[in-house]
Amino acid sequence: MFSRKWMAAAALGSLLLTGHAMAEDKKVIAVSIPAADHGWTAGVVYHAQTAAKEINAAFPGVEVIVKTSPSAAEQVSAIEDLSASRKIDALVILPYSSEELTEPVKAIKEKGTFITVVDRGLTDPTVQSLYVAGDNIAVGRNTAKYMIDKLGGKGDVVVLRGIPTVIDDERIKGFQDAIAGTGLKVLDIQYAHWNSDEAFKLMQDYLAKYPHIDAVWANDDDMLLGVLEAVKQSGRTDIKLALGGNGMKDIVKKVIDGDTVTPVETPYPPSMIKTAIYMTMANLVGQAPVRGAVKLDAPLITKDNAKEYYFPDSPF
Amino acid sequence: MSITANIAAERGRALPGGNAPAAAEPVLRAQGLSKQYGPVTVLSDVTLDILPGEIHAIIGENGAGKSTLMRLLSGYAEPTRGTLSMAGRPVTFAKPDQAQEAGIALVHQEILLAEALTVTDNLFLGRELSRRHVMDDRAMRGLAAEKLAQIGCPVSPTALVRDISLADRQLVQIARALLDDYKVVIFDEPTAVLTGAEVDRLLEIVLQLRAHGTAVLYISHRLDEVRQLADKVTVLRDGRMVGTYPGTALTQMDMARLMVGRELAALYPQKSTPSSEPMLSVKNATVPGYAEDVSFTLHKGEILGFAGMIGAGRTELFEGLVGLRPAHAEIELRGRPVRIHSQREAIDAGIGYLTEDRKSKGLLLDERLAPNLTLSALERFHPTLVLGRSREAAALAEAVRSYDIRLKTLGVKAGQLSGGNQQKLLLAKVLLTNPSVVIIDEPTRGIDIANKAQIYAFIHAIVGSGKACIVISSEMQELIGICNRILVMREGRLTGELQGAEMTESNVALLATSGPKPRPMAKGGTEWLS
Amino acid sequence: MAVITGSPSTHRAGDLNITWTDVGPFLALAALLVAGFLINPDFLSATNLANVITRSAFIAIIAVGATFVISSGGLDLSVGSMAAFVTGITIMFMNAVAPHAGLWAIPAGMLVAILVGLLCGLANGLIVTIGRIEPFIATLGTMGIFRALITYLTDGGTIPIDRSLREAYRPVYFGTVGGIPIPILISVAVAAIASFVLYKMKYGRKCAAVGANEDVARYSGISIIKTRTIAYIVQGVCVAIAAICYVPRLGAATPTTGQLWELQVITAVVIGGTALRGGKGHVWGTVAGAVILELIANLMVLSDFVSEYLVAAVQGVIIIIAMLIQRFSNSK
Repeated sequence: MFSRKWMAAAALGSLLLTGHAMAEDKKVIAVSIPAADHGWTAGVVYHAQTAAKEINAAFPGVEVIVKTSPSAAEQVSAIEDLSASRKIDALVILPYSSEELTEPVKAIKEKGTFITVVDRGLTDPTVQSLYVAGDNIAVGRNTAKYMIDKLGGKGDVVVLRGIPTVIDDERIKGFQDAIAGTGLKVLDIQYAHWNSDEAFKLMQDYLAKYPHIDAVWANDDDMLLGVLEAVKQSGRTDIKLALGGNGMKDIVKKVIDGDTVTPVETPYPPSMIKTAIYMTMANLVGQAPVRGAVKLDAPLITKDNAKEYYFPDSPF
Repeated sequence: MSITANIAAERGRALPGGNAPAAAEPVLRAQGLSKQYGPVTVLSDVTLDILPGEIHAIIGENGAGKSTLMRLLSGYAEPTRGTLSMAGRPVTFAKPDQAQEAGIALVHQEILLAEALTVTDNLFLGRELSRRHVMDDRAMRGLAAEKLAQIGCPVSPTALVRDISLADRQLVQIARALLDDYKVVIFDEPTAVLTGAEVDRLLEIVLQLRAHGTAVLYISHRLDEVRQLADKVTVLRDGRMVGTYPGTALTQMDMARLMVGRELAALYPQKSTPSSEPMLSVKNATVPGYAEDVSFTLHKGEILGFAGMIGAGRTELFEGLVGLRPAHAEIELRGRPVRIHSQREAIDAGIGYLTEDRKSKGLLLDERLAPNLTLSALERFHPTLVLGRSREAAALAEAVRSYDIRLKTLGVKAGQLSGGNQQKLLLAKVLLTNPSVVIIDEPTRGIDIANKAQIYAFIHAIVGSGKACIVISSEMQELIGICNRILVMREGRLTGELQGAEMTESNVALLATSGPKPRPMAKGGTEWLS
Repeated sequence: MAVITGSPSTHRAGDLNITWTDVGPFLALAALLVAGFLINPDFLSATNLANVITRSAFIAIIAVGATFVISSGGLDLSVGSMAAFVTGITIMFMNAVAPHAGLWAIPAGMLVAILVGLLCGLANGLIVTIGRIEPFIATLGTMGIFRALITYLTDGGTIPIDRSLREAYRPVYFGTVGGIPIPILISVAVAAIASFVLYKMKYGRKCAAVGANEDVARYSGISIIKTRTIAYIVQGVCVAIAAICYVPRLGAATPTTGQLWELQVITAVVIGGTALRGGKGHVWGTVAGAVILELIANLMVLSDFVSEYLVAAVQGVIIIIAMLIQRFSNSK
């Protein structure tokens, strides 16, 4: 019963779709990402839209559609609507949450769509044809290594973490694993929800609580902005390093300008969406088989290579 | 005590509490019941025998201890001293449900119903019928319909309480008390919100209960009802028992005297003659859905009464005239046409309106007296943006003095005053706006007899000072007692005018119920819009 | 006519009636300060206290406005988003005129902020009063609108203030007068003006009457539409004042600016002793409430008792306890 109905639907669908494809004969790449609600996602939206513009202009045979959604539920509806209204050759998705999106994405894959998952993995890794992500553990680890190096292996550090999620946990874990056994000591670690205002307050409190702090690590650049403001207000000079993460343009600019307190930056660049879109296109158009998992490294951004990571037009 | 003795001498012997010539075993007996709150004794040494099939009225002024007694008998409070027994066995009630369990039901004075639920839901609230843990709606609806029919309440069991009239709500509340076969039913001021026919229906219910062998405790301010119903009357004064008397032995005046403890001056002041100078003239007033084409003239120095049944549209007519509801009318004040679209404009024009609902529309119960007093007159009283506190304090002291508002300190909140004192405060509040016409809706609802007399005297004084007064009341005696003229309304229309010797209860009742048949109105005139 | 029984104290006895609701928030504040000192003596250091009270200024100023709205029987959920929106517009305006007007851009921007706040408040007020929409729903709607507008204006990122203005504007948050941080002075001034309006002016009387019982107010000839709308306008202006103090702190508006402030604001008002159902407003209590909220957060960081994961739970418990103490001491 069930299968017969589906076969009929599929037959009808493929008839229609072939007609459609013959008329246009364009490969369609749908990009589904969260709406811009803070700095990093704003960067994602910016880079996705830039990639779409570039590809649509350069490759007449490819059409990139970018769809933003403000919540997981709406993202599910968005991809269902996209795949219902037209044939999608590839879907590039940065899922809001792994659990809620796995099944809907799986349903689209079953129609023969190439699936590229970015940043947050789905719970079932077999769904993805391609996985592009930054390395959150490396973000923490590389920051820690730089601190150990710069502070001569010992010192007092305070940490501001974001929102309880896998990303936050991995960064903290990478940092803590790297400093284990060294003379670096974490005095305190508290949530500041990746929010500059909360980070400002939290840093003020850290400064009140600890008369001596060698270094601060805010695991996101939005928070680092608040930290820097609080340090500036206190007039304290004991803080030698204040590091962030994610590659916000204001912080990258500081690195370029040779700031002493924030001399380096670790990228977890929102531009990874652009990388993913280009790789997906290569698979569709260039017939270059691109499958598997790609983990973007989190190399330290220093004064030497900072220009590579500086996007002055991006909102992030 | 000399008054008591006098009356006893005139009317036969007072029945000392508890020693009534009891033919039957008392179903409920209270012995030496006292209640103290901290150092304050609110009830002391009350002894009562309630016999089956007997209507026992409890009367007394506000604060005499009536409600405390009811609370003790129905389990809402526990006595400090004294005992209760039922059919000879001692009982104690720590909670109302224990009293209910024992067979005592209380019909509250206030309407305590959940407005968003249906009549049936309310009747069975807290004691729903169920079959195998599932509510048995059909059985409950059937029983509800039966009980409602029994007491002549016309509402549907599935109607929402918020959609039915105040009077019907009271009947639903009574039906709730009749749902089980109670041995004793206590009515606390059941007729306060009822008029004419509804009162009669209630009295009938009470008589039915008596015939059924139920003991009825009946608390009321309406001495005429007490006189009509009661087999026995117990009088309380200042928390003490004055005595229990056979119902037939006391006239209303006797009861009033026993309650107050002194000779009462006449309840109603001597009527004065109004001038012929028109103060307010209203032509073709229409309040859509409530009143249609009402015209009348009020003269300087006149007290004009408006009579009618609940739902006749009197309140709505005047709320319309003072801008509280959509209405249109040609209004002339002292011969000059005025247009009124809001209460503010009415106040500014010199028309003051005292609502019938002083607790929820007249006064801010959580607020102290001074802010209440000046609320309607803020603009006049405080000409600049800033409040004049000392002027306000002086005005309050003046109002307390001239309206005899009884209070412990000037810092009390309006809600802490007794009903009579609240009404006086409301009167002072409206008069502070210096109106030339004062409209008073139900001037003495829920007020004891001593305060009533005072309110009447104030109304008399108001018209004596060159103003004019309109009194809307459901108490026909009151209207007859104080008004120069009475206009009667029925279903939104004026049905007649009575003056002088024509002003009798039967004439008013006739016009209120069966005057010239009014034209049917667009919408049922008896419903409240929320 | 009978004479008054007893002799009521005639001289403004009512004004001296101090209730638990009036002093409760301040007692709680005092208790918190003592507890804080015992936990960590640094808590009472001048710097820490100055920091914390300065930080609480935004919530305090907005909550003073909310005291008007709640006192008049309304509610405003849009204040957080409105703060972000006003901040964004203000910064964009200042940046736009800075090249021509130089530092005059700052006071001009402040005026723009006040104007925008006033209009936002007016919009809320009219939707609630003329539109007759439940305040909760109406302001939930405008909350979404303001939040979306700021997200749109920032493209989801940040709008930083022009570098040429940054240093000149900085003292509005970081500066002091006579050793007292400017935001504290501003919030005290706002609260002082507000308490004068609420307690000494006719408008305050009307506001409390409308909130305590709409019917009584209507039957007393008070315009409910006018009274409530003004309350929302006051709220809008307070939000604007808070935004003016906020801009120099981080020098930017972002889509996350002012997130969840509405809940902190409402909590501050209620801790301060104003009933959520309306009626008498307690302006100074509200200010104390805002400081209490910020102190609790500060104390959580300064103490080492609580796991970082449980901070929010402990804050919730402390707030509930504070309210319970008030409730029980009230019903005594």
